[in-house]
Amino acid sequence: MTVVREAFVLPAIFLTVVLLGGLRIAEDVRLVAPSLMALVQAMLLVGCLMRARAIAPEQLMNAGRPALENCSGLVVLLALFAACAQVFNLLTPESGLLFLLFSVFFLVQLLTTLAAVRDRVPLLQALVILLGSVFLIRFVALEALYSPEAGTLKRLLTAVMEGVTLGGLEYRAHAPATGYLAFLTLALFVVGLVLLPSGEEPRALALESGTGQPRPLAAPPRQLEEADRD
Amino acid sequence: MLRPLGLAFACAYAALIVWLYAAQPQNVAEMTGGLAAGVGAYRINQQAFEDGLAFFRKDQFEEARAAFARADSARRDARTQFYIAYSYYRQGWGRFYNDDELFKKGLETVDLAIALAPEGRLVVDDSNLGMKTADELRAELQRGITRDASDLNPLRLLEGRK
Repeated sequence: MTVVREAFVLPAIFLTVVLLGGLRIAEDVRLVAPSLMALVQAMLLVGCLMRARAIAPEQLMNAGRPALENCSGLVVLLALFAACAQVFNLLTPESGLLFLLFSVFFLVQLLTTLAAVRDRVPLLQALVILLGSVFLIRFVALEALYSPEAGTLKRLLTAVMEGVTLGGLEYRAHAPATGYLAFLTLALFVVGLVLLPSGEEPRALALESGTGQPRPLAAPPRQLEEADRD
Repeated sequence: MLRPLGLAFACAYAALIVWLYAAQPQNVAEMTGGLAAGVGAYRINQQAFEDGLAFFRKDQFEEARAAFARADSARRDARTQFYIAYSYYRQGWGRFYNDDELFKKGLETVDLAIALAPEGRLVVDDSNLGMKTADELRAELQRGITRDASDLNPLRLLEGRK
């Protein structure tokens, strides 16, 4: 991974996701901070990424790097975490029964992924499908259903649904611009995930500053002693 | 050299995001005005403010609010917001009953004015005004939208608009 990618490209991508992830445009413009549930989901997603080696944190921070490089790596990790939280914030309705349903859905999916997916490419594929599907439900289906320009049948359907759930199925529709920005945000997020230093990359990052000579990232594994084997 | 630059860029970008989420600007004017106010460079449009004041004194409140909004497009000036809140009060005031909607908007605006004022203290020295502080205006607006037994006091009909 190049210095430019680590110091500029990845923070810029993930911080842009953080900025746009909370943007809601309706009659007014709001910037919605992530809920506690989004933070938990973000932690699980970062765990999934590490487990599947979609991100190799030791390439961003390790004892062999100078402090400045470790700071740069820390910024990438923090920005990644914040971006993950904002992606879940973006895709989850803000309140009511739908918030609960979407949150539980994400939680179960992430736990399943954490337990089952071990490789980078399958994880990224699974994430694209998960985020894409929820984007369709949230910004195409629900927005169309709750749009102020919806027809009588749609209004009747939403009224019946709200009645059945005793008013728990509240949803606030947004302007179409929110959907387009959400699409851009998710695309940026996926690009950012692809650009992360993965466990599949050669450890070329660990070059001695100035000399270009590779250096060990950590001490070599200790040879097992005979006594240890016993 | 690239890494310090990258760190500075990331920190500045993150700070901007945190500020945006805290300030919740509604348009570009509010965003740029807020940033300018952050460095002490924000100025209202004085001509538009004078126009607004002239409309306000002639009880043309809609026109006054339009001019005040033009004067303080970023909604960062406490005095202008005070006058906007006052215009809601005067327009909404009635001898028999007040307009709750206008009073609520006035309350929101005076709260903003108090938040913008240094240490929350706002005094406007204008002989045309019955209430010269934001605290008085806020209390009057709050009383106007509160329903209680004192609403039935016939002596209230003798009270005038401030």
